[in-house]
This record gives sequence, structure tokens and C-alpha cells, in this order.
Amino acid sequence: MEGSDMQEIVLKGFGEVVKTITFRIRRYDPENKELPKYMEYKVPIQKGMTVLDSILYIKEHLDHSLAARYSCRMGICGSCGMIINGKEKLACQTQVLELGKNLIKVDPMGNYEITKDLVPDVSKLFRNHETVKPFIIREEEEPKSEFLQTPEQREEFAMFTDCILCGMCLSACPTSASDELYLGPQALAQGYRYIADNRDLGFNERLNALDSKHGVWRCHFSGACSEVCPKGVDPALAIQLLRQVLTTNVFVKFKQKGTTKAPERKSVSGVS
Amino acid sequence: MRESQLMFLQYLTGLLVVVFGSFHFLLISVLSPSPDKILYAYSGTSGAHVLVGGTLFYSWVRAVYSSLIWGSVLELLLTFLVFHVFNGFRVVLSEIFPGTRADKIITYALVIVALVVFIWGSRTVVLALNGGF
Repeated sequence: MEGSDMQEIVLKGFGEVVKTITFRIRRYDPENKELPKYMEYKVPIQKGMTVLDSILYIKEHLDHSLAARYSCRMGICGSCGMIINGKEKLACQTQVLELGKNLIKVDPMGNYEITKDLVPDVSKLFRNHETVKPFIIREEEEPKSEFLQTPEQREEFAMFTDCILCGMCLSACPTSASDELYLGPQALAQGYRYIADNRDLGFNERLNALDSKHGVWRCHFSGACSEVCPKGVDPALAIQLLRQVLTTNVFVKFKQKGTTKAPERKSVSGVS
Repeated sequence: MRESQLMFLQYLTGLLVVVFGSFHFLLISVLSPSPDKILYAYSGTSGAHVLVGGTLFYSWVRAVYSSLIWGSVLELLLTFLVFHVFNGFRVVLSEIFPGTRADKIITYALVIVALVVFIWGSRTVVLALNGGF
């Protein structure tokens, strides 16, 4: 459906209309068995509008059938990842006017099955994430108190805790494009995040997944994952650090820095 | 074997191929009994260029590899090359055709082909040690 003949509607909460920009959006509905196609919509862009705002404008005023996923609208939830002018971005964090183009091409994230239009099925991302056991693994069932951690110990993995599971790294990854079983940068970075955590003792439990035929060694080190991460996480670095750990493990059994026992003291909060 | 062990060997053999390959190419010209000490000498009298002399002339190369030491260097180079090449193929193919069954087929098929290449190459080295073939 062309939106060019539609009456211009000005949204509240934004600045004045600066110009009209064409959005070329990839449309695909697996249920109607048609091949994917691009449709164009003309959107009056006001100051401050993001790509997500524009998509919502299209959905509200031009074409109700357009499907897109979003939630927080402030770059926290990671739901609105898509390919904007050829690069993975969060739609809610991408200012339309900052792109500096009169034509904006929007595609769903790559390397995923498509549920509809701009909505990818990210179950692969979560499945891979689960494979690396993204939680602290301890021998005892329940620690008696919290573990102590120095700022330096936290610094070892701090960057990787910023992952919001938007899945854009996996979308940009060239290995994931050819190897559908590849764990992907997100899962590998989270694998490293827990191995480097001094509270964790689960290295051996993660080893089979990380050191597998479709694990850490399949990275081509293109660095695309780190380039597109909206939170500044560097999964490519985590993969290299993991390789270092696994190579060391070939000769000397890798020992995690974690304490073998939880500290036996009362917790700071007084809850034991 | 774990993937990390295989990949460590992959990187190590890659490095060794460079080292032993350099020996292979450089020492032929240094050790070759060729009197003219040039790599190639062609004869163009018949209208076609035919290699007739130089350090890379077949009989001079064969003379170098009739020595046990340089024959061993060649055998080691062959070993490193076969591992590096076929493990590299395995990595590429398992990425293009993922899946447990495909992984097994690829691995076994490449092990068989690698063994054939290694045995055939070793035969050539052993024959060279014995003065020719």
C-alpha cells in the first residue's frame, strides 16, 4: 500500500516536520506463501523521530498490517533490532534525521527465521544462550551468604554483563549465516562472562558446548558482532579470550579463579 | 579429540608448513648439485620451452632428496601439510553442511582421503631415498 496520497499527520511530542522520507520496508508473511517484497511508505519526519517512531507511524496511519516488535522504546529491552540501511541497529535508538538519507531501507535481522515482516524468530538466540548455561554454577546447593568480589574481579567480565540479548550480533555474524549450528557471538560471550566470574565453578560443564565443532573455534573474527552491538559489548574479544582459555586447557587443566567454598559469614543484609 | 586440540594442531602445523616449506624451497637451490646454480634452464630449440637444467631440474631435486636428512624433512612437510589441509577442509565443510551425521561423514571421508594422500606421498619420498622411481 502506498502512503504517498495519505494526509500528513503530525505527531504530538516531537518537533516540527522537517521533511518527508521514504521508508522501503521488507514485507513477508510466511502464512500467505508469497515471496518477500519491499513496500514504500512516505513518512513526514519531525525532529526527534526515531526509525521505530516512523514504523509506528506507518502502522498507525498508513498500513495496519505491518508487523514489528518493540517494547521499552529506550534501548534497554533489545526487542526492536533490525537492519536499517544495511546495518543492524535498534530502531528505537536510531534517529531518522541522523541517517541523512531520503530513502531508508528497513529489513528484519538476518540469520533468523522470519515470523512476519520485521519480526524475526529469535528462539535460536535463546536456545544457544541456554546451551552455555548462563548462570553461576556452584557445587553446593545453596550458598549460605553472598560471595565477595573485588572491583578488579568484576572488571574481568563487567563488559559482557551489558548484553541485552537483542540478537543483532548473531544477525551480523558471517559464520552464523553459513553454519546454522554455530553458537554465535552472544552465547559465546556469555560463556566467557561466566567462566571469568570468580563466583563460578562451571567451566567443565560448559566445555562441551564451547569447545565443540560449532563452538568457539568457528569464529572467522570478522568483528561484525562487536561493531553492531548497541551496548558496546565486544563479543569478538570474548571469543578470543575463550580461545586463549581453551588453548591453555589443552596443556594445563584450566582452573577457574572461583573459590571452592562460599564464604561462611553473615551476609551484609543480615539475611542468612 | 577435542576441537581445541585439533585447532591447536591446525595452527601449529600451519606454522610448521611455513618453516619446512621454506626449507624445502630454499635448500633445494642451496644444496642442489646443479653446476649452473640457476633455478630453471629451458631449451627452446624445438619450438616449445622444455626444462633441461637448473636446480629445479628433476634429477637435481631427486639428488637432494636421496639424503636421509632431507628425505625426512620432506616426509615431515608432507605430514604437516596433510593434517593442515584436510583438517582445514573438515572445518570448512562442517560449516557448510552442519549436523551430526554430516560431521561424521565428512570426518571419516576426509580421514580416508588424507591417509591415501599421505601413503602415496610417503611412497614417493621413500622411492626418492632409494635413488629414484
